Amino acid sequence: MTALPLEGLRVADFSWFGAGPIGAQLLATFGAEVVRVESESKIDSLRVAHPFAMNKDGTFKTGYNVSGYFNNFNAGKLSMQLNLNTERGQEVGYRLIEKSDIFITNFTPRVIDKWNLRYEQLAKVNPRLIAAYAPMQGLEGPHRDFLGFGAVLTPVTGISYMSGFPNRPPFGVGTNYPDYVINPGHTITAVLAALRYRNRTGKGQMIELPQVESVVNALGTAVADYLANGNVQMRGGNRSATASPHGAFRCADDPTSVNSPDRWVAIACRSDAEWRSLCAALGAAEAGADVRFATLEARKTNEDALEALLSGWLRDRRAEDVMALLQAGGIASGVVQNAQDILDKDEHMKAREYYWYLDHPETGRSAYDGPPMRLSETPGQLRAPAPLLGQHTLDVCDRILGLSGDEIADLLAEGVLI
Amino acid sequence: MSTPQGNALQGLRVVEFTDEIGSYCGRLLADLGADVIKVEPPDGGRQRHSPPFFQAAGAGPDTSLAFWVHNTSKKSVVLDLETPRGQDLARKLVLTADVLLEDHPVGYMAAHGLGFETLRVNKPALVYASITGFGQTGPHSGFAYSDIVGQAMGGLMTLAGEAADPPNKIYGKQSDVSASIQAAQGILLAVLSAEATGRGQLVDVSAQEAVQLSQETAMQTWDLQKKNRVRTGESGAIPLRLPGVGVYACKDGHVMCFVIAPAGKDFPALVDWMREKGLAADLDDEPYAGICNALNFGFLTRLMGEPEKLQTVIPALAHINDVLAAFFASMTATEAYEEGQRRTLLNGIVSSPRDLGENKQLRARHWFRELDFDYLGKTLEFPGAPYRLSETPVAISRPPKLGEHTDSVLAELA
Repeated sequence: MTALPLEGLRVADFSWFGAGPIGAQLLATFGAEVVRVESESKIDSLRVAHPFAMNKDGTFKTGYNVSGYFNNFNAGKLSMQLNLNTERGQEVGYRLIEKSDIFITNFTPRVIDKWNLRYEQLAKVNPRLIAAYAPMQGLEGPHRDFLGFGAVLTPVTGISYMSGFPNRPPFGVGTNYPDYVINPGHTITAVLAALRYRNRTGKGQMIELPQVESVVNALGTAVADYLANGNVQMRGGNRSATASPHGAFRCADDPTSVNSPDRWVAIACRSDAEWRSLCAALGAAEAGADVRFATLEARKTNEDALEALLSGWLRDRRAEDVMALLQAGGIASGVVQNAQDILDKDEHMKAREYYWYLDHPETGRSAYDGPPMRLSETPGQLRAPAPLLGQHTLDVCDRILGLSGDEIADLLAEGVLI
Repeated sequence: MSTPQGNALQGLRVVEFTDEIGSYCGRLLADLGADVIKVEPPDGGRQRHSPPFFQAAGAGPDTSLAFWVHNTSKKSVVLDLETPRGQDLARKLVLTADVLLEDHPVGYMAAHGLGFETLRVNKPALVYASITGFGQTGPHSGFAYSDIVGQAMGGLMTLAGEAADPPNKIYGKQSDVSASIQAAQGILLAVLSAEATGRGQLVDVSAQEAVQLSQETAMQTWDLQKKNRVRTGESGAIPLRLPGVGVYACKDGHVMCFVIAPAGKDFPALVDWMREKGLAADLDDEPYAGICNALNFGFLTRLMGEPEKLQTVIPALAHINDVLAAFFASMTATEAYEEGQRRTLLNGIVSSPRDLGENKQLRARHWFRELDFDYLGKTLEFPGAPYRLSETPVAISRPPKLGEHTDSVLAELA
């Protein structure tokens, strides 16, 4: 089998929470050695965030190494404890950066300044370094030092305003959505492009990904529509301008769906022919001939009545059955799945073995997201579960940084490796 | 190819056969400097005919903003793949490329003489990326797909919206976009490998898999605790309405607050601001003052563990929240955001598209681009790039007209 694309490369992962670590994890999955720098003096909040693994008696496990939230973003990484609030700690950090190809951080500009992690400073010790910075707003600018949390990113970037039903306030989409694919994905796209450039020229560079800029870039047509047309779009629920019916429709309740018995199916009917096919599949062929719904324009004009009609047809059917029926008729439809569905019931996800089950010394056996892209010759590998806090401190100091036993002992005594 | 200069992906040629799911992937590569040639059917795909359009010019394949935002910096070549000549030219074109990117239903490309196994014979280094709703293999690989179906089957929709409403989709074709972003990374990984070893490979991206990470903690909550996360709408993660947490209406919009979070100042700083504006009402009196001073995560956790205490405190919390709501309603969303942040309070404006267009940070950083739409006789402002690279800055050029480069590209082939 061919070597993984990033084998031989090293990543200094000075990030935390979601966006930074997820990006770094992808690099580990495709062969890089990734060293997460952490400190008990300012622990990654995800290490102490739900969901925690559980003991057999139903109580939650405790400690820094039992969070599914943290674990899922840090598979295959080494963890080194380093207190960057000390001068000696920063020296050790520089030593790691010197020996790395890629540096990733989503620390705030204030912290980057405080800990001497600015690009100009890193480039001095390692001119070939590719250094990626992902601050909330930017490394410069009037909002540079604004407080940022994932919860605030979703409203600031326009996602909240544009999502959901128009009669509801814009409360967001239930998660810190941009942290998980958009921001880490954009970061790594840029890092990989920079790697290719470095292969051809020998030059490293700085990548700045202001999270606000990254997200707004992927916000559909909303901003372009304002800039080009002066038009301010409003959230439109689940409907579409080019497909009707288009939305989520309630099906029969399923009491085996734990604390989530209401079941829905999403449907996107994209042509008049599909509409007729849908009607036939659901045993309502006469509706397919009804002029109120015969064309897209007609369906959009009478969309309230259309949705009421469709809801009536579906309310007593199993969502899975509706999906199967409509898919057989060539119509895009899918159950609104929850995690129980995806992990335990979705035959397709099982067949593709997307989830990896890894044994972790404190969490136990648990599921990890597999690589989100499949390469046929150099497939991604989750080579280990998430690391315990500081699990590899001594290994990194010895093997990677080349520190002597005495030097390491001093660092431990001085409270640098905490 | 020529010596690399100024563009990260200089010298990388991509031929793409994409419509809605995969076009953003091509854009990411094109804006980073790859030579991306989009092969389109004679009428253009679905995306070219999707609204909104550039209003001053009317609807058409060259004025769709839906197409524009996912297709900057590319060339366009029209080839009819249903004809032998079209297939032949497409094949010749692909053999000049390093990467093929497509998002057709499984089997379509092979049926039109453009399958991976056929092409790799003459081009062993070819990176062949296929983006579909459910991937190239598996029981659902033949399923019809649309963005809302990806969001549904991928576990996103069940987490979004009020419990009393249908689950919400996230705006902006996020299943398509996620698939494209994962594919861009996959392609570049495969390109690095191909450039090192001379061996290409297949990159298989399923939109359903591409969005899985966006379930945040739902997967782990089921796996570790056998509970499903459910949508909670306005209450978010916190099961009661706490002052300083959630969406507040302003004069002209909304602001989202999360003052209780362990970042920035706590509720007393918010009361200080209200007091300065003469809008603190009776919050300096008991029992409100004591509660305001104690409002933080620790307080909430203790309250949740003492249901009787919680009951006595709820009316006071509701009153404090009413006073706060009236306070925010007295100002614009921009004022609430900027002054709140200036006072180190964690809040964020619920940006409308106009707010984004006028966002002081984006403007100060010159994030917006001016694209020359020569064929429309206009220079138009356009959103910028997701990242800034110091040696190889992202250059964005306008999206191509349908078939704009057919003649020049085919002439090169001959």
